[in-house]
Amino acid sequence: MSLLALSNVTIRYGRLTAVRNVAFSLAEGEILFITGPNGAGKSSLLRAIAGVTPPAGGRIDFAGQDITGRAPEDIARMGISMVPEGREVFGALTIEENLMLGTGMHARISGWRARAMTELEVIYDTFPILKDRRHSQAGLLSGGQQQMLVIGRALMTNPRLIAIDEPSLGLAPNIIDQVYDRLITLRTHRSLTLLIVEQSSTRAMMVGGRMILMRGGAVLLDGDARAMGQSEALQAAYFGYGDH
Amino acid sequence: MATRISVARRTVMTPVILSLILLAFALLALAVGSKPFNQTIIDIFLRVILVVGLYIFIGNSGVISFGHIGFTCLGAYAAAWLTIPPMMKEISLPGLPGWLMAMQLPFGVAAGIAAAFAAVFALIFGRILMRLSGIAASIATFAMLAMINTVYSNWESVTAATSSVVGIPIVRTIWPYLIGAVLAIFVAWAHAISRTGLALRAARDEPTAAAASGIDIPRERLVAFTLSGAVMGLAGALFAHSIGVVTPDTFYLTLTFTSLSMLVVGGMGSLSGAVLGVVILSSLIQALRWLESGVQVGGSILSIPNGLQEIALGIVMIIILIFRPAGIMGNRELSWPMARHRKPGPSAD
Amino acid sequence: MSGMLQIVFDALSLGSLYALGALGIALIFGVMRLVNFAHGDVIAFSVFALLWPSVDAVALVFAGNLPWFLLIPFVLAMGAGLSVLSELVVFRRFRRASPATMMIASFALGFVIRYFLLMLFSSRPKSISLLPTLSQPIEVLGARIPLLQVITIGVTIAVLIGLTAFLKRTRFGLEMRAAAENFTMARMLGVRANRVIMGAFALSGALAAAIGLILVAQTGTVDIQMGGAVMLMAFIATVIGGLGSLPGAVLAGFLLGAASVVMQVLLPVDARPFRDAFVYGAVILVLIWRPQGLLTARGTKERV
Repeated sequence: MSLLALSNVTIRYGRLTAVRNVAFSLAEGEILFITGPNGAGKSSLLRAIAGVTPPAGGRIDFAGQDITGRAPEDIARMGISMVPEGREVFGALTIEENLMLGTGMHARISGWRARAMTELEVIYDTFPILKDRRHSQAGLLSGGQQQMLVIGRALMTNPRLIAIDEPSLGLAPNIIDQVYDRLITLRTHRSLTLLIVEQSSTRAMMVGGRMILMRGGAVLLDGDARAMGQSEALQAAYFGYGDH
Repeated sequence: MATRISVARRTVMTPVILSLILLAFALLALAVGSKPFNQTIIDIFLRVILVVGLYIFIGNSGVISFGHIGFTCLGAYAAAWLTIPPMMKEISLPGLPGWLMAMQLPFGVAAGIAAAFAAVFALIFGRILMRLSGIAASIATFAMLAMINTVYSNWESVTAATSSVVGIPIVRTIWPYLIGAVLAIFVAWAHAISRTGLALRAARDEPTAAAASGIDIPRERLVAFTLSGAVMGLAGALFAHSIGVVTPDTFYLTLTFTSLSMLVVGGMGSLSGAVLGVVILSSLIQALRWLESGVQVGGSILSIPNGLQEIALGIVMIIILIFRPAGIMGNRELSWPMARHRKPGPSAD
Repeated sequence: MSGMLQIVFDALSLGSLYALGALGIALIFGVMRLVNFAHGDVIAFSVFALLWPSVDAVALVFAGNLPWFLLIPFVLAMGAGLSVLSELVVFRRFRRASPATMMIASFALGFVIRYFLLMLFSSRPKSISLLPTLSQPIEVLGARIPLLQVITIGVTIAVLIGLTAFLKRTRFGLEMRAAAENFTMARMLGVRANRVIMGAFALSGALAAAIGLILVAQTGTVDIQMGGAVMLMAFIATVIGGLGSLPGAVLAGFLLGAASVVMQVLLPVDARPFRDAFVYGAVILVLIWRPQGLLTARGTKERV
């Protein structure tokens, strides 16, 4: 059974249709990249999954339950953690406060505090730069550091699925390498499902996994990232060769 | 390409229709012939001037001003200073300068001067306030209202402080008020279709894009603020002549609340909405006043407690804001022919 | 020297009232971008809750006869309760509305509350004797300062310390701070939006009630307009302090209190009734100099 399943999802902003009739599913443990040019609807899709923008039509299922249009905090509690475009750190809060914020939803479970502290140590091990500056304001971090912070913050919520929107945006290539390295390592350690929006399909092909290409609000291609990279179909679809 | 004349021709039906509606009310008052009814219609016309004045600024700029009734106060007292017989002024307002004390002008001229007086203050205050962001500007206008109220409530020699200033010549015929209302409507229309009105609305909807297109937002706001100040001043002057008495608290929070609610219910972004809001809520207020004074039902008298009027108004306002925040008219205007096609929106891609 | 001390205490105690008011506004503005114009009426309501409805000039007290340790929590609860109720019934429907719409709605709500009180109590101010021992002066460094002033300042400081501790040390406080900075992101991390907002309203309402208590103890009267003067200054303080900044609101509140008292002293006797007008004028000058306020909070400028 798939962990996440979208069927016929349509998203509108006023009269503008950003996503039309999109369907795909994601199995537990998979890595799925969503790629495509600007305005393809990728971010809108992620926002709908996270509950920020309810879809105008269609249905989203997660772990067997219908999460279409539910509140973001409920969806977070069910195991989806979203890292939006532009990082969105809480600049006025410290790094540690940013990280601890997501643990509140587990407060009812006994022993959560101990578990949260263990998690924290794991995150600090993975991203040592965060540990060095744990009590300074998050707004003072560099772009790459902030990206690590928000990934760590998402992980602290103990999710089954992490959705990340444009992790590479505004980062230097070697930093992006580091970020992805850590992400993949973490994934293997805790059976995480990754859903990543990346404008650059090259990264997807480097990392491997499945890839979906969107353009103009629709899904055009869906297949293995590396295989798609070899074929011409990807270029044609991305840039719209042969469209009229 | 729409030229100024063709835009004017296309949209002039709106102020014309609104004026005709008001004319109908005036004729109704003549037909009914009773003094109280006449007064009710005068009240409606006064409110039209007020709310249209609010629309000129709030509707076009999107900035909520809580202070405009302050200009009404300025205009009302100015009219009082200019039209009360000098002998009465010597007794009740001894602090007035000699030349003002000796003056007694016909009410039409006085109204014009009062409007200009209010406009000058609007220009001065506006210069300062227009650089502020939306919310800060709104609170600043609140402060301005309070400032005017404080000054007028305490400057005994010039305004008789909180006592009523009496002796203002009362004008009972309905025509000056109708003319004032029609004037206000046409002024609002002319501003709305003018270059500055358009620029201001552009800034209201997309401030960043407007600024990037070279629109000087503070300046356009100032124009609207000053113009609306003049209209509010006119309303104040006519108000003074409708009851012959002014006090500072008449032009404070309650009137602000009433006029704002009429604008909101009718539709903040619409001139027709302003007028419509006045008509609808005035009817509601009248009905509630009637109930407050007790009405015969069967053998007993049914009456509602005092204060329910404002509560009802408040509740209506909140309900409209929840379900139809753009008001009854939204952004549309009454027009003829009625079918105005909206341009198709961005095509679904 | 004792004259100076008196002025200092006057300024601090007036500033405390304004600071508390501004804090109540800033708390709600932080999480909801709402300037709550109904706040002044919550002040009045909290204290009127002590009385039986009547139109008499002397208040018929029912709960007001309670001993202080029950009376104060009662009033605070009334304030918090009305505030939370207004969120549940009214403001919740405006979550996606523009700040302007919310502002007008709160203005309307304020009127509804005020005229509800008017219906029950009439607009005549009522005299009420509440905690009369507090108006007695005490000796502080050679000056006679009303005990109430000292308590006002003390209470305000305690509130400020308590609130800071609450915001910085508790989980709920952390969630409120996060929600104030970026509401949507906080929700994506599991922060319950409704709970945080209700918390802000409850705190704000309790602060309003505290102001009401102080005003009643100070003046010995209750009047449906009683919250108005303080709240106008509080709104102005919020703007000068920088919308959304809690420390800014508090700082500006104290500055306005100081300015008011200083003006009172410096102005010639004839001009004294116009003191408030001068303060508003000074405020407008400050706004020319720094339209964005003294301390700006993040997130108030539109992102392009």
